[in-house]
Amino acid sequence: MTAPQTLDCKGLLCPLPVYKASQALNRLQPGQLLRVECTDPGSLADFPALARQRGDTLVSATEQGDVQVFVLKKGSE
Amino acid sequence: MAVRIRNRRQSDRMTSARNDAGPRKLASDLSRRRYGDVRELIASPENPTPLVRLNRVLAPAEGYLKLEWFNPFGSVKDRTARALLEGLRARGALDGRELVEPTSGNTGIALAALAALDGLRLTVTIPSGVPEEKLVLLRMLGATVMPTPDELCPVDNPRDGAIALAHAVAESPAHAGRYVMPNQYANPDNVRAHYETTGPEIWEQTEGRVRTFVAGFGTCGTITGVGRFLKERDSSIRIVAVEPQRGHRLPGLKNLQESKPPTILDRSVIDDVIHVPDEPAYAMAKRLFREEALIVGPSTGAIVQAMRELDGETHGLTVGISPDGGQKYASFYRDILGEEGMAP
Repeated sequence: MTAPQTLDCKGLLCPLPVYKASQALNRLQPGQLLRVECTDPGSLADFPALARQRGDTLVSATEQGDVQVFVLKKGSE
Repeated sequence: MAVRIRNRRQSDRMTSARNDAGPRKLASDLSRRRYGDVRELIASPENPTPLVRLNRVLAPAEGYLKLEWFNPFGSVKDRTARALLEGLRARGALDGRELVEPTSGNTGIALAALAALDGLRLTVTIPSGVPEEKLVLLRMLGATVMPTPDELCPVDNPRDGAIALAHAVAESPAHAGRYVMPNQYANPDNVRAHYETTGPEIWEQTEGRVRTFVAGFGTCGTITGVGRFLKERDSSIRIVAVEPQRGHRLPGLKNLQESKPPTILDRSVIDDVIHVPDEPAYAMAKRLFREEALIVGPSTGAIVQAMRELDGETHGLTVGISPDGGQKYASFYRDILGEEGMAP
């Protein structure tokens, strides 16, 4: 499996990371992964909601220092 | 008035620059409808938008619509965009920056047109439901568009996603002051535009006989600016705001329960709020097309429906705002029409 595409949203305020992630997910095929790096703490609440609304899966949400890293899997259809 | 003075100065400067370069060109002349620059077409008390009597849909009451789509970029927002950019320029906030603004289309189109003339870059964040025609106009004018789904900001006011997104673009540390947001919802220049132009035009065009003024809740620049001007002339003039229902589909209007009330809204100038659901607004838009031959946008339908609900006898000469025309709403109106008007 190839490494997931990474979206650098460090230094971007909410809801810009969710917007950019949503745009990037639209360009992926079902099953493909997207990795998003954020620094706005609001993202912790936004990404689970985004995945739920879009029908994608939030594979993982981790914090590495000040950076939150989300891995999303594009859902079918 | 600052607006007019600046316009005149700008056109003088442009005319003289051209004169230096070649043979003398004709000067601007409003009486001949000759303009040295498209910006001079934006309405002002010397060059007001038309006031047209509604002879059928409001009869027997005396009601007029102020046709803001006679502005050069097609809506009442031409006044707002001119005032916003003037204010930013005067404060030195434009230097080397790009513009970002949340808009349901019309402010974006006017800003994009003016930005194009000044060589400024513009990004607009747009709520869902804005017709495709407006997005295409924005892109034709060189703006960058960010269509914003309603569910983008599930935590806060869901209908204000485009506003939140524009703030994020303007204020993100990663963008380091690259953007400036005119912010029509909070910028007093939006109110000033209407206090200095739309309000005085209505007073002059009705020869001071206006008794009731009707406009929608949107950014609230029109209702606050015109309302304040008319109340200062005669505090007994009634100022009526039109509010759509929750979950409405009327572009440019806002329900202030589901959207955050703009900070420029001054409720002290408003006497009444009339609630108009989408269906009567659409029905009135159709009547305006078919009975008054006025090719209006959907929000005008809501405003005239509210004018109809006023009792003409007690409210006297009434003026309503027609924020924009119908040309940009082909896809919107197609959905409303369904099969109507198609040969069987």
